[in-house]
Amino acid sequence: MTLISKEHQNTIEACRYCPMCRHSCPSEFIRYRESDTPRGRAILLYNVYESGMEFEPSTIESMYNCFLCGACKSWCAGYELGGYDIPALVRHARQDIVSQGKAPAIVERIRNGLMENDNPENLDKNGAYTAGVEEHAAEVLLLLGPGIDYHYHEIAQDVERISRKIDVSYTFLQREPDSGKILDLLGYPDEAKDKAQSLADRIKRSGCRTVVVCDPMVYDALRSDYKNWGVSLDDIEVMHLTEFLVYHIRQGNLKLQTANQKVTLLDSEFLGRYQGIYEAPREIIKNSAGVDFVEMQWHGEYMLSSGEAAFTFDDDLFSEGGVLGEKILCHAAKVEAEILITLSATAKRHLRGNTDIEILDIAEFVALRMIE
Amino acid sequence: MKVAQNSYMFSMIVFELQDIVGREYVSTRAADKETYSIDFFWIPEMWHDRQSTWDLTRPMADVIVHPADADEVSKVLKIANNYKIPVTVWGGGSGSQGGALPVFGGIILDTKRMDKIYEIDQNSMTVEVGTGIIMQNLEWELESLGLSTMHDPGSARCATVGGFIAHRGTGVLSNKYGKLEDMIVNMEVVTPTGEIIRTLPVPKTACGPDLNQIFIGSEGTLGVVTKVTLTVHRLPEVRQFRAFIFPDLGTGLQVGQKLMTEHLQPAVIRLYNEEETHELIRKVLGIEKHGAYMVICFDGKKKMVELQMNYAREIAGEASGEDLGEEPGEVWWKNRYKFFFPPYMYQLPQCFGTLDTVATYSRIEGIYLAMKQVVNTKYPEARFIGHFSHWFHWGCMLYARFIIDHPPEDPNEVLFLHNNIWNDAMRAAMDAGGVLNEHHGIGLKLSRLTPELYGQAFEIIRTLKKSLDPNGIMNPGKLGLGL
Repeated sequence: MTLISKEHQNTIEACRYCPMCRHSCPSEFIRYRESDTPRGRAILLYNVYESGMEFEPSTIESMYNCFLCGACKSWCAGYELGGYDIPALVRHARQDIVSQGKAPAIVERIRNGLMENDNPENLDKNGAYTAGVEEHAAEVLLLLGPGIDYHYHEIAQDVERISRKIDVSYTFLQREPDSGKILDLLGYPDEAKDKAQSLADRIKRSGCRTVVVCDPMVYDALRSDYKNWGVSLDDIEVMHLTEFLVYHIRQGNLKLQTANQKVTLLDSEFLGRYQGIYEAPREIIKNSAGVDFVEMQWHGEYMLSSGEAAFTFDDDLFSEGGVLGEKILCHAAKVEAEILITLSATAKRHLRGNTDIEILDIAEFVALRMIE
Repeated sequence: MKVAQNSYMFSMIVFELQDIVGREYVSTRAADKETYSIDFFWIPEMWHDRQSTWDLTRPMADVIVHPADADEVSKVLKIANNYKIPVTVWGGGSGSQGGALPVFGGIILDTKRMDKIYEIDQNSMTVEVGTGIIMQNLEWELESLGLSTMHDPGSARCATVGGFIAHRGTGVLSNKYGKLEDMIVNMEVVTPTGEIIRTLPVPKTACGPDLNQIFIGSEGTLGVVTKVTLTVHRLPEVRQFRAFIFPDLGTGLQVGQKLMTEHLQPAVIRLYNEEETHELIRKVLGIEKHGAYMVICFDGKKKMVELQMNYAREIAGEASGEDLGEEPGEVWWKNRYKFFFPPYMYQLPQCFGTLDTVATYSRIEGIYLAMKQVVNTKYPEARFIGHFSHWFHWGCMLYARFIIDHPPEDPNEVLFLHNNIWNDAMRAAMDAGGVLNEHHGIGLKLSRLTPELYGQAFEIIRTLKKSLDPNGIMNPGKLGLGL
């Protein structure tokens, strides 16, 4: 077992008996269990790290039930002074769980899928959008992320349409490799670094000057994790798709039509809380002249979780995305939104409930609205 | 439960529970038993903290269930009666008195699935909700319509409406809007034997005893409240604050009494004793002042509030209060939840407790001095601080605290010390005309002192308990009611 850092110890001691962020934890409201709260996780990790107990199966489950969304941090009035970080603590615990050979079978399956086929569901790579692309030298490399690459080809097509419109030379990586992010979040740091290095090598070989990333978790990996892992992208600039679009809007390369519809935005946990990107998507939306942009009650750092990093729950694949989606749709309906814009494929998938609200990825929204 | 957990009989009972609420809402997982064995009471926290160096165990539930509605609660209680299994109700688990601890094992009945908002009646100014809703979630929903229950406690983000009913909770605006119990219109209750009843549609009638009052404050010992209709108010046009420093606590108490009895309707009066003025105010608000610090607030129509505040300033001025203006009061209001978060909150290894009581104006200062004297004299290792935060026409509440920064290491020794402080302080309060508690409840912490508080009258509570809960399954060990 690795030693626990002072910071993690601090988090355990502060959070173990404090229930004050309970209302914010999305994982609690799936089964309503105490073990699925920040306080509950801190109690269980005190048992392991301070009392020397073993990681037993339900404690392990509780660690993998955490969505790592960071809502607890946003709502903690002591965070600024105390720096309590439950997601970081849970990630540390997952690494220990894996290194002890105690990773749940479903976590191992996801790991194997990423290692063998660069996607968490272990889908045939021939089904990826990037399976059929031809790589060529280009200024911009578009990185889709597994969500779009395997499940939302239409979003990939819209990203291409936008790129052609703004007359940017772009390419993809054929059979886009995994970024290592999910492996790291699941507790496999060495495998994550290997994957990161492979992706970085291919990015550098592409000759691009800019990588435009569509997936918030992949973006977070390239912007933050790669530095920490010693994986270099040389001088290649990394932008999120929204930053890329804002740049071209401001340059006058991309103009959006009047929409005359009420539009709201679901912030992304990994773009927002982890990378501080809140304004770029808003600027894009508001640039569509006539759009009545309305904020949902919970937005920005107090956003509702869409479960971007919810891979498993109770030792199985996470299948309760609809529960999260329903809550979000309720809030969107309250502000009478006609369109709800998402920033990740996961969010879009979880919002597939019964609703009259049109759910559009930011790329879909822009592609629909851009003046050709 | 009196059956071994690896026995088929245990599994048979678990199966029956799963049959009612669904398999996914019944847990015998170790992680859940652990996390449901600690609430916000200092003793189980300390016991858990010291398990790494002492051979300690904590009482734990055998099984946790999450019913969806009164019907499922009823069926669970019928099974519990059938097999004589203790049932402890758990809302947010944020009670400081140990009321939700499953001290004799059995079933934890977690209410949080019962979290619907059924109806907001803007004509009658009421809201009907499931009691498992987190208070803050209800408030946010109401606020989006320009409404509020005006129940604003520090625990709003973690406690359920049902929890506040169970222990007669209160909030910072109670002076004007009342405690949670004052906001109750009617309730749906499942009795210990599984009957589902509804109290009368309105609380003020001439139809005999008020059934609401049987269940309010019963801390899960007399049944499970599953739905409640609460009053709501329109959000005020303005909320104005002002802070004062008085030369001493006695003067501050007189000012508070006058503000209340002149019917000025302050929403908040918060008066800190000299020690807490110095310690907490300096630490959290960054203001260095000596004396007794008071924050007052009025809310409502702007012109009324201005008038009320002017009267209040006159009263304070007549009592030589130093007027600190609006800002300190506004800073206090903005930071009012901050005190409950680490690192601002007291934490282990400190030993601490909130010795709250309530009494008439004629007695409250004497009670404060008696409690302070007994703690300072008998327990010099403890600091005693206090403030007066919930005011009535007839008296006010003392929110006193003791803090020991370096308590004994031995868990039994510190448990004894902790309990002795409580015994001595609360007996001093009772001797001087106070009561055991004003809004945190009795729970496990003060259970042993409850018969003493009531004297002969406790037999009425005991008889009621025997009648409603003949098998004694509901929250045993709490409220002085034993097994």
